[in-house]
Amino acid sequence: MNKALRRLSLAVLVLFVVMLINVNYLQVFRASSLAAEPANPRILSEQSSYQRGEIIAAGGPGAQQVIAESRPAKGGGFQRYYPAPYVYAPVTGYDTVDGTYSGIELAENSLLSGTAPSLAVHNLIGLLTGKSKQGASVYLTISPKAQAAAYQALQAMGRPAAAVAIDPSTGAILALASYPTFNPNLYATPSSAQLAKIDSKYRNDPSQPLLNRAISATFPPGSTFKIVTGSAAYSIGHVSTPNSPIPAPQFYRLPGSTHVLTNDGNAPCGNGNPPIAFAFAESCNTAFGKLGATIGSPAIHKYANLFGFNNPNLTIPLPVAQSNYPLLTDPAETAMSAIGQFSDTVTPLQEAMMAAVVANGGVLMQPHLIQEIRAPDLSVLSTTVPTVLRRVTSAQVAHNMGVLMEGVTHDPYGTAYLSAGPSVTGINIAGKTGTAQNGVNNTGLDDAVFTCFAPYSNPKIAVGVIVKGGGYGADAAAPIAVKIIQAYLGRH
Amino acid sequence: MTAIPNQAAAPRAAADAVSVRATRRGTELSMIGFAVGIMALAYAAVGLGLNGHVPSGIVIYVPGFAVLLLVAHMGVRTFAPHADPLMLPLAGVLNGLGIVMIYRLQESGVSGNPGFPISTLTSHAALYQLLYTGIGVAAFVVVLGLIREARVLQRYTYTLGAIGLVLLAIPAVLPDSMNGAYLGAKVWIILGGFSVQPGEFARIALAVFFAGYLVVKRDVLSLAGRRVLGIDLPRARDMGPVLVLWAASLLILVFESDIGTSALFFALFVSMLYIATQRTSWLLIGIGLFGVGAEIASLLFTHVAVRFTLWLHPFAPASLNISDQLARGLEGMAFGGILGTGLGQGQPFWTPLVQSDFIVTAFGEEIGLTGLMAMLLIFGLLVQRGLRAAMSVRDPFAKLLAGGLSFVLALQIFIIVGGVTQLIPVTGITTPFLSQGGSSLVSSWIVVALLMRVSDTARRPPPQPIQDEGMTQVVRAV
Repeated sequence: MNKALRRLSLAVLVLFVVMLINVNYLQVFRASSLAAEPANPRILSEQSSYQRGEIIAAGGPGAQQVIAESRPAKGGGFQRYYPAPYVYAPVTGYDTVDGTYSGIELAENSLLSGTAPSLAVHNLIGLLTGKSKQGASVYLTISPKAQAAAYQALQAMGRPAAAVAIDPSTGAILALASYPTFNPNLYATPSSAQLAKIDSKYRNDPSQPLLNRAISATFPPGSTFKIVTGSAAYSIGHVSTPNSPIPAPQFYRLPGSTHVLTNDGNAPCGNGNPPIAFAFAESCNTAFGKLGATIGSPAIHKYANLFGFNNPNLTIPLPVAQSNYPLLTDPAETAMSAIGQFSDTVTPLQEAMMAAVVANGGVLMQPHLIQEIRAPDLSVLSTTVPTVLRRVTSAQVAHNMGVLMEGVTHDPYGTAYLSAGPSVTGINIAGKTGTAQNGVNNTGLDDAVFTCFAPYSNPKIAVGVIVKGGGYGADAAAPIAVKIIQAYLGRH
Repeated sequence: MTAIPNQAAAPRAAADAVSVRATRRGTELSMIGFAVGIMALAYAAVGLGLNGHVPSGIVIYVPGFAVLLLVAHMGVRTFAPHADPLMLPLAGVLNGLGIVMIYRLQESGVSGNPGFPISTLTSHAALYQLLYTGIGVAAFVVVLGLIREARVLQRYTYTLGAIGLVLLAIPAVLPDSMNGAYLGAKVWIILGGFSVQPGEFARIALAVFFAGYLVVKRDVLSLAGRRVLGIDLPRARDMGPVLVLWAASLLILVFESDIGTSALFFALFVSMLYIATQRTSWLLIGIGLFGVGAEIASLLFTHVAVRFTLWLHPFAPASLNISDQLARGLEGMAFGGILGTGLGQGQPFWTPLVQSDFIVTAFGEEIGLTGLMAMLLIFGLLVQRGLRAAMSVRDPFAKLLAGGLSFVLALQIFIIVGGVTQLIPVTGITTPFLSQGGSSLVSSWIVVALLMRVSDTARRPPPQPIQDEGMTQVVRAV
């Protein structure tokens, strides 16, 4: 019987070895993924017991600003505090006692909470020296000046709106504001019941304060899309200089359709065959509709993709909603899409990216919010190096588009001459207005859109603004962009 | 070396002879000292971890525990002086750590300690556990005292078999208010405030029964039938007992909803059948039948299928709505990591019913991977000592009994530890010596007593010849 016993002993040995391997796998290799399970009560209670890292707006000239910090709470532990809650809510997001997060609080949670592998050594040293555990701080590219100006301008407008500003040469996001927005301090309550009440109130609010309109909502781009159409026309050689003439009838019957496209106020566009710069500055729909139908949807689609449309995977590291330009076959639809109507949609971030490409010589930089991560002892854990996302157009095409955009604000007949021209702003801004019709049979209020960059000769900032129901882009959206640029460049 | 084998062998043989005769009780006593020391330090660490003070209960728990182990040691000295010296200290240190962990869980969230109180644990749970340890040690001494030779039990083969079956069946026929159906499995006898899990004791009675039965029938059962694919299959008519036991284990599953006990019960029989016959075919047939049974059970009973879902997707929202026990236990072990949070400094209170089936996860959390591996090795050593006793004893009955009990002890540890570490589906069985509760603790002590009884028999020196060599006895004719 000993032979069988020996074999059973071997089986027992195997059972114990398997158990030992499994607990090693569980407690060493799976430890971090188990810690990251949502609503892991141990991690949550651990997190409220030590100091979460700060979020700091550190971009642009001027002083940095702490926009989220953990303060000692009355009953022990820590509570999150947002010094300027509404201004930065679309960026910071919220951090709750239940372990739900949004915004940067969510995207950088492992660093802020100190559970990221890159903090393991710091945590170990802290453990050995008896220091309490602390999360890493996240330094953002957000410029406090630009962000404050953006939020104040949006709030003053009082309509659902959003504005995004980018440094064209690095992709650093300087401002990302949305209105109406929420107060993340209310989410920092230590009471779960209170939290549920607040959350439900915000979720049921018809003005959708939790919606981050800057990156999570899309709007029709209107005439600002003519930047894409124009870039495509230059790139394929259909036009070559700002003075290249393009056909611009007063009334353009869409091919294969009875619908007649007109310009604003049914006005003619120059002499009917004006330079493209003139048609662009006056934002002639007939000229760019016909141009789009001529070069075709595939060409526009190709350049729309290069500008960043149709990309569902962009993260900054917050996820960005997809801007859409679908490939079309019908020439009438193509004509409409070429002027930013039909099924085109954009995020305000995409608007800023369009101007940034032109400002940066045709190269699109990866838009990003994180400047650097610092450990609790302030040593730098990681720094974001600006990366090229892709070349969108040649430098020559970008130059031509820049000339076109400058005309919009500098030429007396340009659509934004009165609201963003140099005589009004004191800055050389180049931009493009958009006024997007929407609603059933275009009966809704028009959405005001404006995209621009400045200074024209040495671009430092590119801005995209969309005001829902704001009317003319030049009237509602452009002044907001101007305020952001003035605040950022320090001119008033 | 080949030149001097005889010279080398002679002293070694002498040493062997000495070691066989040495009782090693002194070793056992000093190891018990270690066990009490570990328990005492762990107990103090709990208080220091929870609130920075050594708990005042240290004057009750540590001396109480030490006295109990000393009583057990004296029992071994008196009734089984040649028994294996490691088993008692190994069982003791596990029991001591169990008491400490139950104390730690009972103190969670009370009188200003961190965490929140565990509602399923009374404020005297650790004291009761010490009391159960006393009953367990008493049972241990009584078993050693009454059963002076394992083969004595062979006389009661069928009596114990009947007792075992009755013990197993009682909860199934009791009304739900008295069998603990509300706890998930109907494996209890609840009378007033007092509750017993008869299955824990039934397993021991049935192990004796199987040993007695198989010793008699092993020749018949090992008769080969046909040889298929290199395996000797038994004759069809000999399949009877296996099928009966298989059906019985399925009945346990059906009537008591207890997969763990059912599997252990069947594994006990199959492993002992294998030891008795040495036929791999029985093992394969057993495993095959178990597989079929498990498949049938998962098709027939939703609770079996639910356990599979919980096992494969413990963190799915649907699973968490049914039970977050496995999820919280796994998170706890991950939270402890390699070195653990330290006793009293983790958060095992998040895991529901952590004091019983999931107590291993509390250890994993607070003493970490390091401590948990040490505990697994202690369990492994205990099983190994049992198997070693089985291998060295001559009496086939004792051999079968010790082999079966040791293997099932190992399997029980595997099923519960594997269950709470997501290696296999969770089946609610207790962790020997660690889980809160008297039935499991007392029955574990009885198992250790039986294994030590067998090892005592195995290690006892052969009786000395009555007469001196060379002397001639004179027989006087009347």
